[in-house]
Amino acid sequence: MFTNLTKLDLKDKQCMSDAGSPKLCMKALPGEGAERSCAYDGARVVLMPITDVAHLVHGPIACAGNSWDNRGARSSGSQLFRRGLTTDIMENDVIYGGEKKLKESILEIALRHNPKAIFVYATCVSSLIGDDVDKICKEAEVELTIPVIAVNCPGFLGDKNIGNRIAGEVLFDRVIGTAEGPNEKIPLSINLIGEYNIAGDIWGVIPDLKNLGITLQTAITGDAKFDDIRSAHKASLNVLICSKSLTNLVRKMEISYGIPFMEGSFYGIHDTSETLVNIAKALGDPDLLERTLVYVRKKEDETRKIIAGYKTLLENKQAILFTGGVKTWSMVSTLAELGINILAGGTQNSTPEDFQRMKELMDPSAQIIEDTSSAGFLKIIAEKKPDLIVAGGKTKYLAHKTRTPFLDINHGRKLPYAGYQGMVTFAETLTRTVLSPVWGLLKQEFPPKESEQDD
Amino acid sequence: MTNTRHYEGNPQKNSPALGATLAYLGVNGLLALLHGSQGCSSFIRLQLSRHYKEPIPLNSTALLEDSVIFGGWEHLKKGIAVAADKYKPQIIGVMSTGLTETFGDDMVSALSSLRSERPDLDDLPVVLASTPDYIGSMQEGYQRTVEALITTLAEHPTKTSEQPVSNSGAYSIEDHDLTIALLPGCHLTPGDVDELKEIIRQFGFRPITIPDLSISLDGHAELEAAPVVQGGTLLEDFRRLANAKACLSFGLSMEKSGEILKRTYEIPHFNFPSLTGLNVTDAFVLTLAKISGKPIPEKLLRQRSRLLDTLADYHDQLGGLKIAIALEMDLLYSLASCLVEVGSEIMVALAASQAGIHKLSLPIPIGVGDLETLEERAGKSTLIIANSNGRQAAGLLKLPHLRAGLPVFDRAGYPQKCWIGYEGTQQFLFDTLNSVS
Ligand code: SF4
Repeated sequence: MFTNLTKLDLKDKQCMSDAGSPKLCMKALPGEGAERSCAYDGARVVLMPITDVAHLVHGPIACAGNSWDNRGARSSGSQLFRRGLTTDIMENDVIYGGEKKLKESILEIALRHNPKAIFVYATCVSSLIGDDVDKICKEAEVELTIPVIAVNCPGFLGDKNIGNRIAGEVLFDRVIGTAEGPNEKIPLSINLIGEYNIAGDIWGVIPDLKNLGITLQTAITGDAKFDDIRSAHKASLNVLICSKSLTNLVRKMEISYGIPFMEGSFYGIHDTSETLVNIAKALGDPDLLERTLVYVRKKEDETRKIIAGYKTLLENKQAILFTGGVKTWSMVSTLAELGINILAGGTQNSTPEDFQRMKELMDPSAQIIEDTSSAGFLKIIAEKKPDLIVAGGKTKYLAHKTRTPFLDINHGRKLPYAGYQGMVTFAETLTRTVLSPVWGLLKQEFPPKESEQDD
Repeated sequence: MTNTRHYEGNPQKNSPALGATLAYLGVNGLLALLHGSQGCSSFIRLQLSRHYKEPIPLNSTALLEDSVIFGGWEHLKKGIAVAADKYKPQIIGVMSTGLTETFGDDMVSALSSLRSERPDLDDLPVVLASTPDYIGSMQEGYQRTVEALITTLAEHPTKTSEQPVSNSGAYSIEDHDLTIALLPGCHLTPGDVDELKEIIRQFGFRPITIPDLSISLDGHAELEAAPVVQGGTLLEDFRRLANAKACLSFGLSMEKSGEILKRTYEIPHFNFPSLTGLNVTDAFVLTLAKISGKPIPEKLLRQRSRLLDTLADYHDQLGGLKIAIALEMDLLYSLASCLVEVGSEIMVALAASQAGIHKLSLPIPIGVGDLETLEERAGKSTLIIANSNGRQAAGLLKLPHLRAGLPVFDRAGYPQKCWIGYEGTQQFLFDTLNSVS
């Protein structure tokens, strides 16, 4: 009806039977309290870090009003992507249709904000009242000199992952490969796929790439410029960072443009090195590979030296890990690098593959969190009494109620954790959290028991 | 003040369902259930949680494509039943969304159908608030929900044997004279509500506050995290409303709720559109003195005289302020009228929605606008007052920015802040002055 789901390579996926594994094909039950998001959110997460375009949400205030500019994706240039733009559908539009308002909005935004392109997001209500976003975008495009791109992602299509995939389709169909000029590959160049530059993560990786002589064509999408994504097909290699939610995109780019892809992560020393070495291997340049091997050894030594002090302080702490996407598995090894054991792990918004990988990395005795609702989360904390919880911002304040040290590793954080530099920041922040005196104050009994008062 | 734009640029509006959530969060033992898709609830949780720095219990009926085609009736029934069985709330509070209102889900008949299928849930009060996303903003959603809470819960039969009204189990005539119903609008922070109750108590009254965010969202560490609201108005408080000596509502948006109480229980109702400023606080205090028949407490007089001293000390600086303000109507009116009272100049005033805009008068025109409009018009001001999202405008115009409204996520302590009453007004003026110097 709205978006062809089979096209998104979802319907034929089998349910993972493993306990606690993300249930891509299972629907959340009404009233159950699952904390998932919607397809629109998923699409927006991928597309909004394109910084020099306008993102217009065609819907009532719910979709854009509560949520604009709430992710930590950073830009080194244009700030246009941070502007909250919405048609703010009102009662009259629901009755008479919102197409005219949408058209006017697109034209006004083009005039006022001078964007490189406009992405128009269809949402639940605009889809339901039958507004044809595709048609309006096409019409507007005729009048404008920039691309106006419809993103059909009403929230009711499903959760975030589906939205991620829809965004991948849109980028492939409408943006990638549309640059003018020669199409030949840029040697030793890569795209990072699924890297959103949260808190400036990419900037912790670019120096290493530069030192090795690798060109970053673009990140899809973090600190991304529209024109760079148009030329993404000129890269020699795709490096898939965040989960598998954009696998559809890299597969298609492989078939159409002959760009091979590999997976990688820049969280933690080990993963960063491995990813850099694998990039060098995949780019097939023996000289580069040799350079990289020497480089990563040097960087690893340097970084380990810097974090050694933190490691002594953190060694043998017990953590509960609750996250999604690439961090599902990547955080396991990052924490291990600091000597931290994982008592239990759970995931949301991860693909079954990410989950499997996490399971393999964890100690077999570690428990998988099956009930990913708030209630389940609290239960496992009460049972395990960890020294530390590593999770996303959604669970932050819940975790605080349990008076347990908590580190936010998702988009709400202020500090970049990617690359070697990010590892140092991570170790620093983690140590500050775990050793903070406030947890002791929080747990202090008051008024103290009689016997203690006498001491 | 014509706005010819068809889009909202940097909206200051939050969704009505967010306002509904906020109202529900002030009722003890309540589980809030959003009738819509998951994205809406997830955005609301995130927005409120980054403002209050608290976990926000909010559940959803998780509609997907099939329910969009066939209607969400069954999902609503199932949602209520599952939530009741799994989390054992004392009350379930449902709010609708643009999605469910657009396909016209009849929540009332869904509920009665569930009631006939599940007689065991008979004693579970279920509040239904209609909060379509395309009507108004947070303030409207909050307002509609408070009305729904009052009409549903004040009349719901209670099992008194299980829930004694107080320690002694009943209220005496004396209590009748002491109880006052308070209806704070969504423009009041938990800190404001706390102060409100404190002022009332100084006159010997016992407040029933609906909803009471001052004990559920005031950011204290004692409570365990739970899937239902902890703290807030007790269910039995709703039934005690009938005994109230008077009802006081705060913010124009709360006027209708107060009138409902007045009609239902024949108790006098007073509405105070604002409690920030000298004159409005005077009016409030005099009303309390009149209802109680008691003199104005020494402590309040002392606070008043401190405020007067502050006005004298800073009259010149206050007079030099040129303010651009963009907030939801009740808060906009409160802060702007206080600033006008002390001689500041309001250059731009933009409300988030139409609600109440023509009912209250300020000596300046109030328009409806977003933060992009604020950015266009605030250039000649010395200070911007808006929620945290106003930082884009303030940054571009290089103007100081006093955070107010919701969300405020980049300043510490906002939910605990108090800007009402004599002391709160003084604090508001201090905060204003400190942000420009
Ligand atoms: S679920 Fe639908 S209405 Fe709600 S935020 Fe997502 S797209 Fe908007």
